[in-house]
Amino acid sequence: MQTVQEHKRGWALRDVIFLAIIAIFFGVIYQVWGASYYALAAIPALKPFANDMTIGVWLMAGPLAGVLLRKVGATLIGEVLAAVVEMLLFSSWGAATLLYGFVQGISSELGFTLTGYKNWDKIGLTLSVITSTLITFAWDLFNSGYLAYKPGLLITLFIIRLISVGFFAGILVYLIKVLVEKSGLLKR
Amino acid sequence: MTTLAVKNFSFAYDTGQRNILNNISFSPVAGSFNLLIGPSGSGKSTLLKAMAGLMPKFGGIVTGGQILLDGQDIQPVAPFERAKRVAMLFQNPDRQFAMRTAPEQIAFALENIQLPAEQIQDRVADVMTRLNLTAFAEQDLMTLSGGEKQRVALATILAMDSDIILLDEPFANVDPQARQTLLHDLQALQQTQGKTIVISDHDLSGYAELVDNLYVLEATTGTLQSASLTRLTNLAPVVPFTGHPNPAGDLGWRQLHVSVGERTLLTGTTFTVPSQQIGLISGSNGIGKSTLFKALTKQIAATGTITWAEQDARKIKAKAWAKRVALIFQTATDQFVTMTVAEELALSQRQTAYPDFWTAERVADAVAQLNLTGVMDHIVYQLSGGQQKKLQTLVMLIMGQPVLLLDEPLAGLDQDSVQAVMTLLQSTVHATQQAILMISHQRQGLADFIDYELVFAEQQLRLVGGATHA
Amino acid sequence: MPKLNPTVLLVIMIGIGFQTAFVKSITMNLIVAGVTLLYLLLAGVKWRYLGVMFAISLPLAFATWVSFIAFGTGNTTHLAWVYATRLYAYLFLGGALTLTVAVKDLLFSLHRHAHLSSTFTYGLLAAFNLLPRVRRQVKTIQYAASLRGVTYHLWSPHLYFKAVLSALQWSDDLALAMTSHGFSEGFPRTDTINDPLPKWQWLVAVLLIAAYAVGAWVIQPR
Ligand SMILES: Nc1ncnc2c1ncn2[C@@H]1O[C@H](COP(=O)(O)OP(=O)(O)OP(=O)(O)O)[C@@H](O)[C@H]1O
Ligand SMILES: Nc1ncnc2c1ncn2[C@@H]1O[C@H](COP(=O)(O)OP(=O)(O)OP(=O)(O)O)[C@@H](O)[C@H]1O
Ligand SMILES: [Mg+2]
Ligand SMILES: [Mg+2]
Repeated sequence: MQTVQEHKRGWALRDVIFLAIIAIFFGVIYQVWGASYYALAAIPALKPFANDMTIGVWLMAGPLAGVLLRKVGATLIGEVLAAVVEMLLFSSWGAATLLYGFVQGISSELGFTLTGYKNWDKIGLTLSVITSTLITFAWDLFNSGYLAYKPGLLITLFIIRLISVGFFAGILVYLIKVLVEKSGLLKR
Repeated sequence: MTTLAVKNFSFAYDTGQRNILNNISFSPVAGSFNLLIGPSGSGKSTLLKAMAGLMPKFGGIVTGGQILLDGQDIQPVAPFERAKRVAMLFQNPDRQFAMRTAPEQIAFALENIQLPAEQIQDRVADVMTRLNLTAFAEQDLMTLSGGEKQRVALATILAMDSDIILLDEPFANVDPQARQTLLHDLQALQQTQGKTIVISDHDLSGYAELVDNLYVLEATTGTLQSASLTRLTNLAPVVPFTGHPNPAGDLGWRQLHVSVGERTLLTGTTFTVPSQQIGLISGSNGIGKSTLFKALTKQIAATGTITWAEQDARKIKAKAWAKRVALIFQTATDQFVTMTVAEELALSQRQTAYPDFWTAERVADAVAQLNLTGVMDHIVYQLSGGQQKKLQTLVMLIMGQPVLLLDEPLAGLDQDSVQAVMTLLQSTVHATQQAILMISHQRQGLADFIDYELVFAEQQLRLVGGATHA
Repeated sequence: MPKLNPTVLLVIMIGIGFQTAFVKSITMNLIVAGVTLLYLLLAGVKWRYLGVMFAISLPLAFATWVSFIAFGTGNTTHLAWVYATRLYAYLFLGGALTLTVAVKDLLFSLHRHAHLSSTFTYGLLAAFNLLPRVRRQVKTIQYAASLRGVTYHLWSPHLYFKAVLSALQWSDDLALAMTSHGFSEGFPRTDTINDPLPKWQWLVAVLLIAAYAVGAWVIQPR
């Protein structure tokens, strides 16, 4: 009979399924959120603010996957998968959802990379909040036409975005992680 | 013929914790039918998973001995090599399938064991026919009933042609009819194909004719003992519950019609749920019992009228409705909203509709009655399945909604726990005048507690032994 | 019309979608939206469905348009139209994949032609098959809280915590069951996937992406 060699710390089947189910949960929850985003964004005067107020929500799946799995790439894959699910469930952003998911995933992952993938706690999350706010904002400057906005508005938008990302992808993710650890079910 | 031998095997879930399994030796005879019993939490699932080679890969540590498959340590054997020899069927029929339909699932398993491509289709067709599954070939597995899902799981094992079949409480969510059919299927496999069968179960009915050996796993010592087969024949007979419901109650429905998708589950029934009584709803898998409860708790839409004290339920908001009619879920962990047993109880005590009744003493008594005193500061998610089930029922009972709908509250409980839960429910509803309606496939030991029974069949609810009340 | 292989469709979608993010051309956006819409119709997607998609996104497109007129600097009208039309380019580009290819076929295709490992292919597939259950679970989580007099908001950690717990339990159960059904990570399996990818389809992909590049970067229409 063939036997299994004690394998390297790669992606195990159960981690892949776990990550995917998390992503699907977020895809479904994003849809619930989508309603409030639409309500805000469909009011022309609020459109730019709606984007930056809610962006933190769309950035949660990645860091959460990261701190739960503590693996290189988990943040990126988690975020991209959540975007894929969102796109499949229907998103007005269509193919752009995937692109945004990728950009957001990379920018959140970078925070953990900066700690050398050693810190999956407050420091890693804080750095991840900073990198993702900066990079996604830069992306929007060049690719979503933010450069065309007046400077005063840009500063306001940046601050709103930092708060949104800090709360959802930072504090909220941290609180969820604490609860999961306390439940004792995360023995991986 | 494959041999599987458990040799002086000991196992714990964490370093420094006690051995769940203690020095167990067990070698099922080839071609025999073995039943494994033991109280909830004694380690039956753990032992079976270890015998399937899934432990410690999926948790825990081996603290002594070993398990040999054809004389070789089972754990490092590649899964596809194991699956050809030992296969396992799990308690929860809902999450055993990777694919969407039965033929896809069976083919998936056959690809795993590297059966040549040209043989796969024939093998799939063959087992589909043998287990009478051809009618379900196109159907989404998710929409099959519990019993049907277990048949598909059995078909998958059969297709892989494993010699040894391990089944972990495969009937916990299966109705008596489907249970008989599955037991019959198993017997046929054992007798005509010489399969070795090891099965764990709480419900001993229907085994007397089948079983060659009976084993008991002791909860306190973690040891395995062989027991006399007479335990399987001296069972109390199961009787229909012919009592009558009281006429008065708050929750009622008229001409209720429930359907999912295209399919009608219930047409035009009328009933009032009587206060101070415990009613049982029985009926085969997939008939629509759980769906009826979802309609009554307003989680899905239904046509006809649901009423609360003659008032139309549509006029009552979801939040207010949740204060009147409560659902106790089939999956216990879905019910919990805090972290520890004590916190769960404290939350319910804060929110209870009967603060005078649920005094600290009474709660403590109930906790003792359910044998939960020792786990007050445990995390709810780390309790055994049986403990979770009991805690879930208790916290909802304390909440005190006037109508409690319990979906399989006794699944997986041992007889002592069943008695304790039912006694508590009965004494509480007598004092508080709450109404309880419960779905249960398990009927053993319920004779003293059930006030009336509604049978769900052919899209109707019929009162047992009664007039056309329902 | 022969259907494009899912892997090829994905490559086209990424190849054009990525460039679109950097291109500020109304014409190019309209061409992408028009061509993908045509593909969708040829692939048999219902008119009515596409109409609904168009309508749902209309308020968003309108708000995007207004926000540039109101808050923008420079050539605001042009930018407003660029971003409003880009929304539709992306919408139908995404639809060209999601509305014509089942998740299973996409995963199998990627397994076959893009080296997606068995573990990812079947792990993702098993998880995606749980989608309806995940939907129900989100509702159950909220309902369970309301039964105890607790309300979960979208910013309550407990809501997500319960979702994570379900994910943990479900992934454990599924992985256990798949392993016991013989699924072995890192070992070969019998391959029965039938997903033809004729060479000309790669040519189509390269031509389409190149044509877009030439249009967007060389011709640069408004
Ligand atoms: N993953 C785990 N981590 C830690 N402890 C566990 C784990 N799984 C089970 N246990 C504990 O091990 C003991 C044996 O559990 P097991 O599920 O094997 O019992 P069982 O006899 O199958 O019970 P039941 O009849 O309720 O299914 C229980 O006390 C349980 O709480
Ligand atoms: N969302 C859904 N979509 C399609 N079919 C569904 C859905 N939910 C339930 N069903 C089907 O409706 C039928 C009734 O299901 P329900 O869960 O109410 O059965 P049940 O009587 O509670 O069975 P069991 O005893 O197995 O728990 C089943 O055939 C089930 O597959
Ligand atoms: Mg068990
Ligand atoms: Mg049910």
